[in-house]
Amino acid sequence: MGAKRIYAAWAGVHFFLIAAVCVAGIFSLVADGLTILPSAFDSYARKGELAAASVLGKEMAASNPVRRGIATYLDAAGSQSGYTFFAPNVPGYHRLILELYYHDGRVEYDSPHVSGGAAALRLDSLLDRLAEPGYEPLREVVVKMLAFSVWQEHRDVEKIRAIFGSVNQPGIRDFEHGKRESFQPLFSFDFSLRNKENQSTTR
Amino acid sequence: MTWLRRWWKRLMDFLFPPETDKWLAVLRIGLGLQVAVYALFLKSDWNYLFARTGSGLVSRELGEAITSFDSRLIPKLGWLVALGGHIGIGEETVLSVAWACLLCAGCCLLLGLFCRPAAIIAWFLHLCAAESGGLLAYGADNFMTIGLFYLMLSPLPDRYSLDHRLVKTKPKDPQLLGFWRRVLQLHLCFVYFFGGLAKCLGSGWWDGTNLWRSMTRPPFNIISPDVLIRFKYLLPILGISICLLELGYVFFIWMKKTGSVWLVCILGMHVAIGLTMGMYLFALVMIVLNLAAFGPDFGSLSLAYRQRFHAVFTKQLTP
Repeated sequence: MGAKRIYAAWAGVHFFLIAAVCVAGIFSLVADGLTILPSAFDSYARKGELAAASVLGKEMAASNPVRRGIATYLDAAGSQSGYTFFAPNVPGYHRLILELYYHDGRVEYDSPHVSGGAAALRLDSLLDRLAEPGYEPLREVVVKMLAFSVWQEHRDVEKIRAIFGSVNQPGIRDFEHGKRESFQPLFSFDFSLRNKENQSTTR
Repeated sequence: MTWLRRWWKRLMDFLFPPETDKWLAVLRIGLGLQVAVYALFLKSDWNYLFARTGSGLVSRELGEAITSFDSRLIPKLGWLVALGGHIGIGEETVLSVAWACLLCAGCCLLLGLFCRPAAIIAWFLHLCAAESGGLLAYGADNFMTIGLFYLMLSPLPDRYSLDHRLVKTKPKDPQLLGFWRRVLQLHLCFVYFFGGLAKCLGSGWWDGTNLWRSMTRPPFNIISPDVLIRFKYLLPILGISICLLELGYVFFIWMKKTGSVWLVCILGMHVAIGLTMGMYLFALVMIVLNLAAFGPDFGSLSLAYRQRFHAVFTKQLTP
């Protein structure tokens, strides 16, 4: 009976934490105004999200052992994020186009690539993440790394202009009327590779 | 007080139903296959995805730095690379060995050989890869970690494993087997309920827009939009069905009359996701988890089987 109680207690704590993660995810969607709920709910949802986050120790200092313990456990159990895939709506997708400027004045176009389909899916997932506001501080660094991975295959390239943008998909009706997807540049970075300097510009 | 005791007993009965280990065999074999396929799919890109700054696609160190912000105790490939460095093994070799070990662990799980160590190694190495490549991770990684986490903690080995055939292990406590299955069942209910709820809150699932968008965007655009447009009137029905299927899972999967229908529909949905969107790993892991949790013919024990287990345990517990 003692062992059963321990198992039951563990299950209680385990599902309490998972519930907190899931509830925080739902509240976050509502608070960000991404759902069909009226905007009057936004502020309540933000409070709810904060409450759920505080249950997970996210309001504590980053070095707090309780916060770290909860984060480690949730990561180990694969439950650190909610289950809001493709929800509430399917986001648009993004593309990174690299303009390769050669020493002799030639310009070629390329994109970061991988060999297998499974890895390609992950690369697309990374590009979609880069568009999120939370990834703004990392954007330039990651784009630089992706540009560098392409440069390794084109060593005689002098400069790379990385253009990151969203692809606007046509809706069903638009598609029927002949409209096709269009590329909307969001920002671009210039990387000068010969002299190891880079400049960036945001559009 | 009596009410509280009755409630506690009901809770215990719910959490510890006697079960056979068939579901565990399904979970072990399924996850073994999943791990092996995961490793084989990433074979050509493994080192490129997880290399350090300057030698791969994006830096593994960047992914690990983001993970370390949450906690430094979360396993990562960098630990293994550092360990290899201490004994003079290079990064590329360590990554290749990690990949080979993951594949071996998957094959061992598939066969049921060294079940527990294989489950722990598979969980650890997959978690390392998922956390180190955090920027490149997606939903299938989370579900693989969830499955391997429960598998590692469940009472292995099962009767269908090679371990059991080679070394005659004692039958596991049916109530403990039932507990771990219940945990998996409850977890899936959380997954579908919150997934369904989030979808219901989006306008695009009610008019079919989201299905259109998800199936026409790369890399999921396996079916040509010109073909898809022919079924445009079906998209809203399918979108609403997905919402209701996921949201209703938590209620209808438990009922005798609706359970099998719901399971078939959910499995059908994941098969369709796999085939029409190319998300093979995601589809496979969801099918495995669902079959293990609510699969047919192992929902309840037959009386004879229950009595056999009861007899074994009564004998063991008698001094």
